[in-house]
Amino acid sequence: MHDVRYSPKRDEIYVTNPFAQAILTFSGDSSGNKPPIRIIQGPKTQLGGIDTLEIDDVNNELLIPDGNDVVVFPIAANGDVAPLRTLQGGDKVGWEPGSGIAVDPVHNVLVTDGTITGKDDYVNPHPGGRDTIFIFDRTAQGDSVKPLRTIRGDKTGIMGIRQMQVWPKGGWIIISQITDGGIAIPDGTFVGVWSIYDNGNIPPRWRIDGKPSNIMLKPRGVTLNPTHKELIVSDMRLNSVLTFAFPELFDQVAQAPRQ
Amino acid sequence: MIKSKQLMQRVLLFGIVPVIALASLIVLAGGPATSNNLPLASGPRLVSIQALPEMDTSGPMCQLMPAAASETLYAALMQAPAGASAQATPGDLRNAIKDRPPLRVIKDPYPTYSAVAMDFTHDEIVLLDENLFQVMAYDRTANTPASATMTEPKRVIGGHNTKIEFNCGLYIDPKNGDIYAVNNDTLDTLVIFNREAKGDVPPTRELSTPHRTYGIAVDEVAEEMFLTVQDAPQVVVYKKSASGEDRPIRVLRGNKTLLADAHGLSLDTKNGWMFVANYGNAADYNEQTQRQGGQVSSFGGRVPGSGRFVAPSISVYPIKAEGDTAPIRVISGPKTKLDWPAHIFVDENHGDLYVANDGGHSVLVFKTTDSGDVAPYRVISGPKSNIKNPTGVHVDPKNDELVVANMGNHMATVYPRTANGDVAPKRVIRAAPLDTPALQIGNPGAVAYDTKRDEILVPN
Repeated sequence: MHDVRYSPKRDEIYVTNPFAQAILTFSGDSSGNKPPIRIIQGPKTQLGGIDTLEIDDVNNELLIPDGNDVVVFPIAANGDVAPLRTLQGGDKVGWEPGSGIAVDPVHNVLVTDGTITGKDDYVNPHPGGRDTIFIFDRTAQGDSVKPLRTIRGDKTGIMGIRQMQVWPKGGWIIISQITDGGIAIPDGTFVGVWSIYDNGNIPPRWRIDGKPSNIMLKPRGVTLNPTHKELIVSDMRLNSVLTFAFPELFDQVAQAPRQ
Repeated sequence: MIKSKQLMQRVLLFGIVPVIALASLIVLAGGPATSNNLPLASGPRLVSIQALPEMDTSGPMCQLMPAAASETLYAALMQAPAGASAQATPGDLRNAIKDRPPLRVIKDPYPTYSAVAMDFTHDEIVLLDENLFQVMAYDRTANTPASATMTEPKRVIGGHNTKIEFNCGLYIDPKNGDIYAVNNDTLDTLVIFNREAKGDVPPTRELSTPHRTYGIAVDEVAEEMFLTVQDAPQVVVYKKSASGEDRPIRVLRGNKTLLADAHGLSLDTKNGWMFVANYGNAADYNEQTQRQGGQVSSFGGRVPGSGRFVAPSISVYPIKAEGDTAPIRVISGPKTKLDWPAHIFVDENHGDLYVANDGGHSVLVFKTTDSGDVAPYRVISGPKSNIKNPTGVHVDPKNDELVVANMGNHMATVYPRTANGDVAPKRVIRAAPLDTPALQIGNPGAVAYDTKRDEILVPN
């Protein structure tokens, strides 16, 4: 499993099963060998290469990157159901998603990682197509949607994103950069934070570097603990979970640029 | 079908929950010593220390808000963004963040054994450690006393130069003692070390492999090496001497094979059979879906919308099977007790098939001629056995013993070959103090926080 999400509103846990093309929902108190309470799976779903997911507790939706698309289901969907809507990437629109995904229902945007399908000035030395943050309208759908904003370029330091989160109250996008999962201990790993309003080739507002003195080598997962103002990271090289104090993230709010 | 479906769904959560509980335990207990135990001294590496440019402070970029430490993420979501009345972040504060160490670390500092093989020439038990990414060789008769912290291995191969990561499959060349270690999810490389290898050394030989290889077996007479691939489920066969970018000489793959999240692999060269263990996560395969525009697609050959859960199984093929070939028989069904069947081992001398039954905390023993929904004729399981999340199994025909690698308790356990039931092991090789819980955090791909229970969720 490459993703897990928790819904405080519904007290449910969500995971993907990529090999069986399924989205599984468990009750929040699940323990041991307990079956899921719901499964999304079947021909109508058209789920193909799923890996990760995001939940939108406010609008009651599940969002799943799948190949060049982002598909959206009702959060309570069960069985063989068709998606509510699909946001399609590809050559036609010039972008394609990776597997990082997050939703900000306050600013009403959907954030994904991915890459552009054409050429620009930025050359990412690492494969994987996960070197860009795209910000879309939350309800965008169809095959001709352009991102509202794009964060990409050498100043960003982004070469290979994994899990993404947003902190809607503050307007922050948080990413874990693994750089290249095919390298045992890659350089340039970090956890970075951008504003939901950022656009272009700009560095993160905050950045915790992956390096031995930070006891972080290959950050793959990232989430927030707002109760204690902490940022939690899963590190795949260390098989560990690291918790960082990060009050700045919770005490400050990103501002929209002046018009 | 319903029952098998439920079974597969249940086991998926199995990977999460122990971590939640144990992680909570470790954090609350203050956790193990971290900096002294982490494998950080694997040599120098380039570290990016890039000063962040000053933020444009011509406008009110970032604002201070009242602390709201008690609110949940959902409650915070329901609030509108704060107003524009606070000051910008000082630059020195941002620079301090990049050097910020964690407050707490959840990490198992001890090895967890994922696979086992034996070097009969040198009388050694060799184990893979998938937590710290090591190969560990022990004297065959090693036995950790209850009072001892652990048994020291004779040799350890581990470190950055070894290219070992999520090492899950192991084979020892009976002729020269070469060690073949399969990496599962990340490095896509089979690494081979000679018997004398020790420490942080580069592999003697490497072979680029498909993504998600798991099991390994070798037909020594034919000099062919077999590897399973979890997804798209397949068996790839190479020349035993393959290296670099060498291609497989045969591939067994397709819908007729009934392969479903393929794991362990073992050969019966006497009868010409190949056995494969399947977890049961399935989807239809299509070559056109595998490759789109000359590239391997993100669907990995899976036909969209064809995903399903099938019962865990052991499927049996002719040893030279290739292409989309149906199994000659399948062991599967509720009587089999199969639940996450990991590595398997064929004892050709006695016609037995041993299964490390991870989800069932058991070792199941079938006859190699079994077929269908058949009960194992022996089951080793129970509190006395010390079997917990076994993933590796190996029979020592010379000494008539069975060795089991347990990921759930830092132990390799040794039994008489004919053991049955809840039997205590003859010997134990333990890598951690007695009763130390194994966190089993493996390749943590993500993380979530449960605001209601103040718990961290880690998928593996």
